[in-house]
Amino acid sequence: MSRPTVTIISGSGEASKDTAPIPNVFKAILPIRPDIVHTVHTGMNKNRRQPYAVSEKAGHQTSAESWGTGRAVARIPRVSGGGTHRAGQAAFGNMCRSGRMFAPTKVWRKWHQKINLNQKRFATASAIAASSSAALLMARGHNISTVPEVPLVISSTAFADAAVAKTSAALALLRAVGAGADIDKVTKSKKLRAGKGKLRGRRHKQRRGPLVIYNPDEDGKELVLAFRNLPGVETSSVYSLNLLQLAPGGHLGRFIVWTSSAFGALDKIYGSTTEPSALKKDFLLPSTIMRQPDLSKIINSSDIQKVLRPVRGGAVSKRTNVQKKNPLRNFQVQLRLNPYAAAFAKNKEGAKKVEGGKPERVPASFPEQLHEN
Amino acid sequence: MATLSSDLIWEITRGNSSTLVKRKQAGGVSFSRDPLNLKNQYNRKYEGLVADKAIGVQPGEEGSVILLTKKAGKAHQPATHISRSEIPAKRSTRKTYSAIINSTAQRDYRTDLRKEAVARASAIRKSQKPVKASKPAKARGAKAREEAEA
Repeated sequence: MSRPTVTIISGSGEASKDTAPIPNVFKAILPIRPDIVHTVHTGMNKNRRQPYAVSEKAGHQTSAESWGTGRAVARIPRVSGGGTHRAGQAAFGNMCRSGRMFAPTKVWRKWHQKINLNQKRFATASAIAASSSAALLMARGHNISTVPEVPLVISSTAFADAAVAKTSAALALLRAVGAGADIDKVTKSKKLRAGKGKLRGRRHKQRRGPLVIYNPDEDGKELVLAFRNLPGVETSSVYSLNLLQLAPGGHLGRFIVWTSSAFGALDKIYGSTTEPSALKKDFLLPSTIMRQPDLSKIINSSDIQKVLRPVRGGAVSKRTNVQKKNPLRNFQVQLRLNPYAAAFAKNKEGAKKVEGGKPERVPASFPEQLHEN
Repeated sequence: MATLSSDLIWEITRGNSSTLVKRKQAGGVSFSRDPLNLKNQYNRKYEGLVADKAIGVQPGEEGSVILLTKKAGKAHQPATHISRSEIPAKRSTRKTYSAIINSTAQRDYRTDLRKEAVARASAIRKSQKPVKASKPAKARGAKAREEAEA
């Protein structure tokens, strides 16, 4: 089923008569590759890290020397001097109390990952395409039961002249278009983080809500300030989309609220599978190898069905849990096993005398004849 | 824009989904929280989130049973995608089952789920019955003799 357009929803939540053509990024020819999105996300997520390491001196701030052999203690360096408990204790080794750690961490660890640009673009396009499937949004955990349509496109007139510059206006807008349930879910989800992260500036954990994508040229930037205090809501310019926001955790299907001008800019930014993008150098949208991903449609197509051999035999239903009938007691069952039983019973073969009567008795001379030697 | 095929959606979500409940107990069974899943098992056949057509049977208010089905061609409109009809408690169980079948399997809507839908409705009806108070236990042995004397 092809849907060439998407309804533009007004700022008050009603469906307007305006529609927007679907940009090429959303077309079915675009491959949705969770594996690529996942690896690119893993790499990108590493690129925000700050170096950390233990002190260079840790465990080495003592003048310990080995006592050598012959003193019936291990040859590990030992703290010199006397007059304190520390004297004579082993030092430096990773197995020692207050020794240095094994392989002390260094600030020159490889913190960052290079990711091929084309791969990043592929992943971004894939994540945008996945955001148009309601099933994937729900599988990611977004509460979209009140959303009239995905992709959700809001008319840019709602943002004109800095109309959405206050958080109250932003919240009212999101509630009007049916995204309120997702924000409520985020608000309720705020929990204290388990573990040491609490002490390291990551005190709470909460879900992610909708991502508002705008076009800074037409919608202005006031809305960023309006949305930023809503829990879980993020904003992003359509010109600088980030996979970490489009597929948080590497999982496809972020709930995206588009402004109509941002939605309209997508074709300019991503081009198509044949027309290169205007803004990204040498970028063509990827296309799928498999044009028809619906397996049952392929199997039931006339092309496949006509080369298959017809089904042999009729429908056979397996009889389970049926009572076993005793053929010796049940004559009909016996007949099934032994067709001769009918004639046998009819002619009373079982009651007949043996033909020719009893065999003749051996003569009395027989034993003698037998033992004649 | 074409609707994504359910085979593709299943391949994307089979390892990770909000409806998936995975536990290490019982050999790592996978259950589903999906209201459109008739057996609460996370697999391709029963997972309603993934399927184009799906049936859900849920308990309603005051002993009623709610039948959920996915409407065709509304996959992009989450607010109106699922149709919901309530079968009141006063309807007999047989009529409840035939109502479910007549509006789904009888109309070529997921004929493979006929049995499961009826079974779920039956289980829900059974669970909505008031619990019978058990009889007081009959005293035996020394206690019985004591009671007889008193």
